[in-house]
Amino acid sequence: MRRTVCRLALLAMAVNGMRAQAPGRYLLRDARIVRVSGPVLERGSVVIRNGLIEAVGANLTPPPGAWVIDCNGLTVYPGLIDALSTWGLPSQSGAGGRNGASPAAGPEDRPLTVSWVKAADQIAPSERAIQTARDGGYTTAVVFPRGNIFSGQGAVINMAGERAGQMVVADSVGQFLTLRTSGGRGYPASLLGSIAYVRQIYLDAEHYKTAKAIYEKHQEGLPRPAYDRALEGVLDSSLVLLPAETAIEIERMTALASELKLKAVLYGGHEAWRETELLQQSHTPVLVSLKYPERARDADPALDEPVRVLRLRENAPAAPGALAKAGVPFAFYSDGVNNPRDLMRAVKKAIDAGLAPADAIRALTLTPAEIYGIGKRIGSIDPGKIANLVVTDGDLFNPETKIKYTFVDGNKFEPLPEEPPARPGRGPSR
Amino acid sequence: MNKLTWLALVSLAPAIGADAPVIIQNATILTVTNGTVRGSILLQNGKIAAIGERVTAPEGATVIDGAGKYVMPGIIDCHSHIMADAINEGAVSVSSMVAMTDVLNPEDIAIYRALAGGVTTANILHGSANPIGGKTLVMKLRWGRNAEEMKFAGAMPGIKFALGENPKRRGNAPGGGGAPPNPANLRYPATRMGVEDVIREAFTQAKAYQASWEDYRAKTTRGELAIPPARDLKLEPLVEVLEGKRLVHAHCYRQDEILMLLHAADEFGFKIRTLQHALEAYKVAKEIADRGTGVSTFADWWDYKMEAEDAIPYNAAILTRKGVVVSINSDDPELIRHLDKEAAKAVRYGGLSETEALSLITINPAKQLLIDKQVGSLEVGKDADVLLYDGHPLSNFSKVLKVWIDGREYFDRDQDLAGRPQKQSEKKDLVDKAAAEQRPARQTP
Amino acid sequence: MKLWLLLSIPAAMLAAGEDSFLLRGGTVHTLSGAQIDNGSVLVRDGKIIGVGKDIAAPKGVKVIDARGLQVYPGLIDAATEIGLVEVNSVRETSDTTEIGRFNPQLVALTAVNPSSEHIAVTRANGITTAATLPQGQLISGQVSLIHLEGWTTEEMGVSRTAGLHLRIPFIRTSARPAPFDESSTSPSGAAAPNAFTEARRTFDREMAELNEFFDSARRYREAKAAGGTDFRTDLKMEAMIPVLEGKEPVLVTAIREREIRDALIFADRQKIRIVLCEAPEAYKLIQEIKTRDIPVILGPTLALPLNEDDPYDRSYTTPADLQKAGIRFAMGTFAGTANLSSRNLPYQAAQAVAFGLPHDEALKAITKNAAEIWGVSDRLGTIEEGKWADLLVTDGDPLEAKTQVRQLFIKGKPVDLDNKQKRLYEKYSARP
Repeated sequence: MRRTVCRLALLAMAVNGMRAQAPGRYLLRDARIVRVSGPVLERGSVVIRNGLIEAVGANLTPPPGAWVIDCNGLTVYPGLIDALSTWGLPSQSGAGGRNGASPAAGPEDRPLTVSWVKAADQIAPSERAIQTARDGGYTTAVVFPRGNIFSGQGAVINMAGERAGQMVVADSVGQFLTLRTSGGRGYPASLLGSIAYVRQIYLDAEHYKTAKAIYEKHQEGLPRPAYDRALEGVLDSSLVLLPAETAIEIERMTALASELKLKAVLYGGHEAWRETELLQQSHTPVLVSLKYPERARDADPALDEPVRVLRLRENAPAAPGALAKAGVPFAFYSDGVNNPRDLMRAVKKAIDAGLAPADAIRALTLTPAEIYGIGKRIGSIDPGKIANLVVTDGDLFNPETKIKYTFVDGNKFEPLPEEPPARPGRGPSR
Repeated sequence: MNKLTWLALVSLAPAIGADAPVIIQNATILTVTNGTVRGSILLQNGKIAAIGERVTAPEGATVIDGAGKYVMPGIIDCHSHIMADAINEGAVSVSSMVAMTDVLNPEDIAIYRALAGGVTTANILHGSANPIGGKTLVMKLRWGRNAEEMKFAGAMPGIKFALGENPKRRGNAPGGGGAPPNPANLRYPATRMGVEDVIREAFTQAKAYQASWEDYRAKTTRGELAIPPARDLKLEPLVEVLEGKRLVHAHCYRQDEILMLLHAADEFGFKIRTLQHALEAYKVAKEIADRGTGVSTFADWWDYKMEAEDAIPYNAAILTRKGVVVSINSDDPELIRHLDKEAAKAVRYGGLSETEALSLITINPAKQLLIDKQVGSLEVGKDADVLLYDGHPLSNFSKVLKVWIDGREYFDRDQDLAGRPQKQSEKKDLVDKAAAEQRPARQTP
Repeated sequence: MKLWLLLSIPAAMLAAGEDSFLLRGGTVHTLSGAQIDNGSVLVRDGKIIGVGKDIAAPKGVKVIDARGLQVYPGLIDAATEIGLVEVNSVRETSDTTEIGRFNPQLVALTAVNPSSEHIAVTRANGITTAATLPQGQLISGQVSLIHLEGWTTEEMGVSRTAGLHLRIPFIRTSARPAPFDESSTSPSGAAAPNAFTEARRTFDREMAELNEFFDSARRYREAKAAGGTDFRTDLKMEAMIPVLEGKEPVLVTAIREREIRDALIFADRQKIRIVLCEAPEAYKLIQEIKTRDIPVILGPTLALPLNEDDPYDRSYTTPADLQKAGIRFAMGTFAGTANLSSRNLPYQAAQAVAFGLPHDEALKAITKNAAEIWGVSDRLGTIEEGKWADLLVTDGDPLEAKTQVRQLFIKGKPVDLDNKQKRLYEKYSARP
């Protein structure tokens, strides 16, 4: 108990203490710079000013008053992006919808739908997960409300900021869908119903748009289309995140997306290595979960697991490599794994299974930025981009590597000293 | 690893190669529609190219000695729920907005097991939780291919209806007594009267929906301004039923509900394509025959619920004699593996001829699904969906040796047997590897 | 057709001595020796008193012509629920499952309904005898062996308490993966079975309770033998005595390999005679079963494999596997409904033939072996002198679905082959 109190106190001090520098001017000198957008600069500098990257190159002169950091022996990467996350959202972010109402009698009751909810409106800057992520090199997360079929709209947020609004890099970047059911209380009670519901909603949204447009022009003599916040929410963002873990689900969801002409991103992706051709042809990006499927803990030792499942597990880490080879855009996401070290370990597994390290970095930086249409703002080390950087003393995926600094919106942070090695593989307890 | 490699590794099916012609010689060929031929059958370019006492084998053909063996058309199951990740959308009394095509699972092992029992085509139905259920489709069991590739091209889609105990179950309080039911947890209907009402109400709505589109089209044709009606996925398939573009497969048991449905269909001007189960259909054979409606039933299931009390194994025979097109279906991943043996029971119960019995699982279900131009019998020009047996298919001592669909081999018993040791060792490797990976991880606290 | 009419003369018309006759001219499959072509079976007072080629009809004994027909011993379904349940989905028609986990004092025959439609329908397919099982957790009651004919349960009873039915405790972990439609993004990895540790604990407790129950029955028996004024009769304990004395076997239902292994361990520990029941994974423990000479009543051959990766014909070949190993086995249909109905017993046997079981062994599995396992081979199971005249007369192989049953005798009495289904057939065939 006492230990916990001490640790909390220490943490509080550290949080305050870390915000040492006002958004200011920095020169990171003599660093190895992994730009991601171009070749690695083996020795160069990065100038940071007003929260942005001002210049990248060799022999740069520091702006007046800049803090010059000697990065000899250090590597600078773009800040890492968690491509599908809840970091920074309160745990109850998915609640809402028809809670307390009578069971939905059909799609018209808009069950399990809060499409209008915006993650950007729900950010809690004091969430512990933000600092843990930042200390591990993550400067950005794409956060979505969860828990419903139409769960709401995502926001790209930086992992630092005093007020929620300052953290938002982009809002309404996509609608997060699950294919969950009512759990027996009302429609939809099955996967059949969930998919049919998604289909009906997008048809309704299309009709809503048409009807509103006609009515706008001719407000006399026509019936007035009823206002529908579920459809308003769906129309807010064009990108749709669809669940697809297995090959079958990938086929199912790409078919649905193409039928409804959705701009879809699939999440899950552990069996994506079987569907690279389809994904490539349909131009469907994939968010690959860094929580690989595992045998259930405390499973029956006599359980005869089918080869189908064993193979899925065995090959899941090979999915990213296969996607890279096929030229399918993909990004990594945390999927409930909150310790960045565990995440890096999972990425390393993908590298060991054939993913080029450069492609791994891209999947943690520029690709997620591009998938969400903000590749001009973050994701690489280029002049004009937001100064989200991570500075390490070695290769990002080497378990020995330590993160020296992270820069978020040009603010410098130094991570807390890590827990003593007596507790390997664990982040701060939650 | 690319997809093909993976498929070759996990698929139980023979590797997919070029389709060389196949000729089976010296066999007893049960054509079903044109008698028995002792001779050869040639499968070429996915079709049956020749049947006769003497057929010349084209160059490069795979020659199979059929001496002592039997050849028959692939079995068609008019009622199956295999290869689906969900069966029922039971929250609503009309679930016509849902579609089985959305939840197909081409890796369901039940497919391979059915194939090994000679089934080549299956009608994949929604469950029976609602008076009007979901949209259905016909699949060929091309094991190893994806869902899209397994669809029966050109087969008309269907929709499931259900009468009697199942659709009214959610309208009744469980236990039949005790605490008064919370109406919020009950779903209309609770009686067969209500089942009829749901169906009539749905088609009344469908007609209005159909009219709203006609009205809209008329207005736009006249150049009038109009907002198009919103598309309604629930009513669209019912309009298709009214327009004859979608087949109705109706789960039912008792004679009263069968007549109710036939009359409701008459009233709204649509057809019931098949009555499914219809264990009391023999009581109203005439009314069914008059409307050209088919019956797809069990060989001898009975008494598993009240409405199956009067089921008799002579159902198929009576209906056949009274001019109804009858099929024997499975509705079950186990029963689907021996539909041939189920058909044989119709010889015992009611004295159907062997050809009539075989028709129950081949040409008759093909007729019911309107795919009898393509499949259901061994005729030149039809799809080469063909079974090879080690004895007469209606004998309980016979088994399927090989299965072709579109002239391509999808099951081969010898190959299945030969491949088992390798499959076992592959599995062992995977299990060992996973165990080895898990061990060090477990040491971490 | 004419012959059939002749043979189905209602029992009443045969008057006195109807259980005495000479069945002549059929092919007699005795199952105790070679098949006898153009053979005869002489029956007096319900018992077989002669089997052979040239048996003359004693004076006054009726001759039944079986020329061109096949004669078999009546078929025995070694495990069913017949008579205990009528309509599966209607709770009120079911008497299979009592409340409580230790019910050795319950006897199936008590609740057999002689008027059950299932009895008439089943025997029309040549099944003359069935073992009917109470169901439940752990000890569900006494199995009764019944004839599918009789005015009362007393008349039907062949063996009132043929064995004790035990469902061996098992570790209840569900192997089912989490459903797709949960919001998890990793359905394949998120299998949510019961925790093994927890389930194992429950199992250990149940196993201990079961052993304790047997141990206390043993103490009870000793106390009873010792007598004394303080001795109190306990009906549950009383029912255990024949089991402890080896007079009655325990029919142990065990599905998975581990359950079968546990059943063997349990039998070893309690030194009781067991019969394995259902046991679809018996093929994995051939040696262990063989060494102990434990008989098996196999579940339906027409059953799905238990595991996704099992060969498609896994359940088809198990009878042949057991037969090759020399394990004694019979067959049961278990559930009294749907496709597993008792009347389809012969086709369960036939499917095993298609996959390697010798034809004769298949027939024995549903006649001779069943009688032996249930301890009634002195009366049933073969066509031999001294046994009851349970005879099945057909126009072909009874394992073939196409074959028609022409005549059936139970204890020498011709059995009415009519039933509700035939009546409905006739009635509605005639509907204008």
